[in-house]
Amino acid sequence: MNCNEAGMLVAKYADGEVDSLQGRSIEQHLRGCAACAAKHQDLLALRAQIGAEVPYFTATPELRERVRALLANAQDTARARPRPKRDRWGWLTGGFVAGCAATLLAWGVGTTVIAWRANEDVAVEAVATHVRATLNNHLIQVASSDQHTVKPWLSARLDYSPPVQDLASEGFALTGGRLDMLNKQRVATLVYSRRLHTIDVFVRPESAPAPSTLRTVRGFNVVHATGSGMDWIAVSDVSADELTQFVQRLAQQTATP
Amino acid sequence: MPHLDAGYNLARWLTRDVHDAEDVVQDACMRALKYVGTLRDGAARAWFLTIVRHAFYDWCGRNRPAEILKDDGTAIDMAADETAMGPEQAALRSSESRVLADAVAELPLVFREVLVLRELEELSYKEIARIADIPVGTVMSRLARARSLLRRSPLLHSIRGRTSGGEQ
Repeated sequence: MNCNEAGMLVAKYADGEVDSLQGRSIEQHLRGCAACAAKHQDLLALRAQIGAEVPYFTATPELRERVRALLANAQDTARARPRPKRDRWGWLTGGFVAGCAATLLAWGVGTTVIAWRANEDVAVEAVATHVRATLNNHLIQVASSDQHTVKPWLSARLDYSPPVQDLASEGFALTGGRLDMLNKQRVATLVYSRRLHTIDVFVRPESAPAPSTLRTVRGFNVVHATGSGMDWIAVSDVSADELTQFVQRLAQQTATP
Repeated sequence: MPHLDAGYNLARWLTRDVHDAEDVVQDACMRALKYVGTLRDGAARAWFLTIVRHAFYDWCGRNRPAEILKDDGTAIDMAADETAMGPEQAALRSSESRVLADAVAELPLVFREVLVLRELEELSYKEIARIADIPVGTVMSRLARARSLLRRSPLLHSIRGRTSGGEQ
């Protein structure tokens, strides 16, 4: 060890802060180096002098008494008032936040699942209704290719008036309309024919805006669209592309003569 | 309040005033009551001294903001020279044993607190580091600086008369 290395260690040694290994090497150095040994002695002398001459102030009895009274007083008021007020609020706030988060999460998941299930149900129900109507041959309650006949007929039997449009020029001829129950709700059903295919379009007031979706249930294509304030659910065995185009065309209601 | 004396001693050396020290200690006691939950076993004295020190710095910020400003390294030498007395002034003072105590009291704050914690409270470097919220290395360098400032103090030279033999 040289004097450079010893420099910081001398103070540590004088303060009793060296470990046994450092202690041994510094002792060895101090034995051989008069300069560092003198530094060490000087430091010890200074420490001793400080210990002897620099007073350690102790609290006066008055201060001691005042502090005691202060603490007793504080403890009394703390005891009178249920003390861990802050803690209790902390818990309450934490619990409240956690509860809210859990509720929101449950609600979010619940509504998502319900919405998904409802979609599923509506599609399945729409196909079932379509099939039943086809089998029973009671597709049409009001047979007309005239939208001005079908629309008032439906409006008279519903609490809303579905937009009705004949798209014969585009190959989708209106053949009539009927009433159905869909999702425990009375809905207007518009019946169109496309070549030899029959298309049922269930129209009900829009519940929530939803993107167009296409599903296939038991071989039938079900296309769901929203527009003109209505939900449009078309069921048919025509190709998915045609049906999608058709239902979007209906929902947009671009040309109403 | 078993560590009241330790707290008072620190406050007394930091404020260098009897009444201010009492104010700081009382404030610290109220804080200690509030934060008693943060007390770890076996370190009650260091814990209380930490609180006293915080109470002092808050008090100092309110009452003597200039003193805290000297905390930055560049001001150290200036501060030391300002606060140190000229030799003739020192000679005028009684050459009794209060001289060294006065020299300690005139150390800049950052050195004074480390020196007091080490020499009067006899705390380890580690404990001092925790109380003063500085690294152990800084404790060592401040302590070394505090001691060299004490040795250089004109107050002391007029009394001790001898130079330290080890210095080249």
